[in-house]
Amino acid sequence: MKKSASLIVSMALLIVYSLVQADVPMKAWGKPSLQGNWDFRTVTPFQRPAAFADKEFLTPEEVEDYEAAVRVGREARASAEFDGEYDQQDLDVGYNQFYLDQGTTMTTTMRTSQLIYPENGRMPAMTERGREASAYFRVLQSRSPHGPEDRNLYDRCILGFNAGPPMRSGAYNNMMKLIQTENYVMIQTEMVNDHRVIPTSGGQALPASMQLWKGDSRGQWDGDTFVVTTTNFTHLSRFSGTGESMTLTERFTRLDENRLEYEWTVDDLEMFEDKFTAVVELQLTDADLYEYACHEANYAMPLMLSGARKQEATGVEDDTWLPSWSR
Amino acid sequence: MSYCRTINHIAVGFLVMSMLMTCSQEPSESGVVVIEPVMIPSENGPPDLSGIWQALGSASWDLEGHTASKMPVTSVIGAHGGIPAGTSVVIGGDIPYQPDALGIRNANRADWANLDPVAKCYIPGIPRLTYMPAPLQILQTDTEIFIAYEWGGNSRSIFMDRPGTTAPLPSWMGYSLGKWVEDTLVVDVTSQMPDTWFDAAGNYHSGSLHVEERYALMGENHIQYEATITDSEVFSRPWTIRMPLYRRLEENARILEFKCVEFGEDLLYDHLRRGYDGSKNLDGTLRVDLIEEPIDQ
Repeated sequence: MKKSASLIVSMALLIVYSLVQADVPMKAWGKPSLQGNWDFRTVTPFQRPAAFADKEFLTPEEVEDYEAAVRVGREARASAEFDGEYDQQDLDVGYNQFYLDQGTTMTTTMRTSQLIYPENGRMPAMTERGREASAYFRVLQSRSPHGPEDRNLYDRCILGFNAGPPMRSGAYNNMMKLIQTENYVMIQTEMVNDHRVIPTSGGQALPASMQLWKGDSRGQWDGDTFVVTTTNFTHLSRFSGTGESMTLTERFTRLDENRLEYEWTVDDLEMFEDKFTAVVELQLTDADLYEYACHEANYAMPLMLSGARKQEATGVEDDTWLPSWSR
Repeated sequence: MSYCRTINHIAVGFLVMSMLMTCSQEPSESGVVVIEPVMIPSENGPPDLSGIWQALGSASWDLEGHTASKMPVTSVIGAHGGIPAGTSVVIGGDIPYQPDALGIRNANRADWANLDPVAKCYIPGIPRLTYMPAPLQILQTDTEIFIAYEWGGNSRSIFMDRPGTTAPLPSWMGYSLGKWVEDTLVVDVTSQMPDTWFDAAGNYHSGSLHVEERYALMGENHIQYEATITDSEVFSRPWTIRMPLYRRLEENARILEFKCVEFGEDLLYDHLRRGYDGSKNLDGTLRVDLIEEPIDQ
């Protein structure tokens, strides 16, 4: 009797697995198709909020409540009459609610945070070296800029604030295109119009002396998951405070017709006391990626530098140049 | 010197020549007999253009024939600041400007270092990105052919499955629709911004630009690239450029980063730097007066 029940359960699982697999588009060479335009917007918080401490998943009702609360908050901000201090805060950010496009739904796994490791869903503590480096850049970006190099790479249009790598849902332009051939997977992010062409056979690693803004990415298939390992970042690339020793591991797994699981792990024990891992599901979209010609329309940079020179000319000392979103 | 022999000479120096390359003869527009490579027909489906390719020559400096000349930086970097000579890649030799437009081109040329959008690291557009001095990588799928350009980290999608559609708005790279005409990839590029140039010699266009590109695989390691330029606001008739793209054959060939923003910032912002005194370094480093200044923590 026990054996029969076990057999039935096994057969049922096999059928479910087969049905799930049947929904995954495959390439002619036997690998799941990753190709398409993918939307990575989500309102799932990156770190687990204190209100969800010790709670890894929400119930469907809690998800509904959370998404409703996000909507209410945005509506309130969109209809707020900006004046006084709040008005200044709005200007610091540079955008009001109209320009933000952060999605309206949590990830379908109903997790309380994108971070799944450390297990508390919170970023690990920084090392002393990590704190020193962060303090240096905070001071650098707080002063009135001496030149464009004082500003972060996002202000300079060298990297995109949500384009990574790794890619992480941000204020807007949360889209990526994946083009897949047997030998390469290309990832293009809409933000700052950038791309990585990643060999699927590992490829030859660059020497440590060759450091790239987006690092050196090499890929390989682990069963039906495409795994990308990226090293050789510059010391300025700094994803959430990482340094040039960061190793990034990204895992792309097609879940079904419309979803792609994107899991990534940052390992940088020079800057953080532990590694950290996040996972989200990307949604297939029919929308095209638009050309994000950031540098070509970077009116902010000459205006910032002009403002800084004006402050100097009038003897104003100003250490409030750190963007409000990174304070 | 025949076209094929020229290719062979280049191949000896830089590349391994395709064993499939063959030649035939036809007269050029100037009456000179040139030898054209014969396209290798595909047996199963369209040709596979996948790979890492690069144009040789100096078309990025000037599409028309030009002798070597000086950049305004030879006092700093010596002979590295010389612009290489090149024969014209324009079929027929010259670009057929309307008279007024030629005057604008000449004014552009006179102040090219300040006016060329590429000097500022702006997206070069099509066709210029094809012959910038950096490789490009073609990823070919049935529905979309993606070209990743090393120069500037730029890219574009050539859509193979949406004939007759139009761009939602103009862009620096334009809107590319592709189709196979026998064994040639033909790409219609429309809706490009009027701000790009064709080269560093001031050759320009208007917002009415229409580019028809043709990519024909001539063997395993060569693509014959052509682009026909139509812009009735600037030119008296359509004109065509033609050049081969060579496959990068080295074992570790790959697209690297050339994020040119950091190289354009001096031109764009140097006058807005703290302590600007009219001089600037050209080696990409911060000026000493900036990097030696201590930061209070």
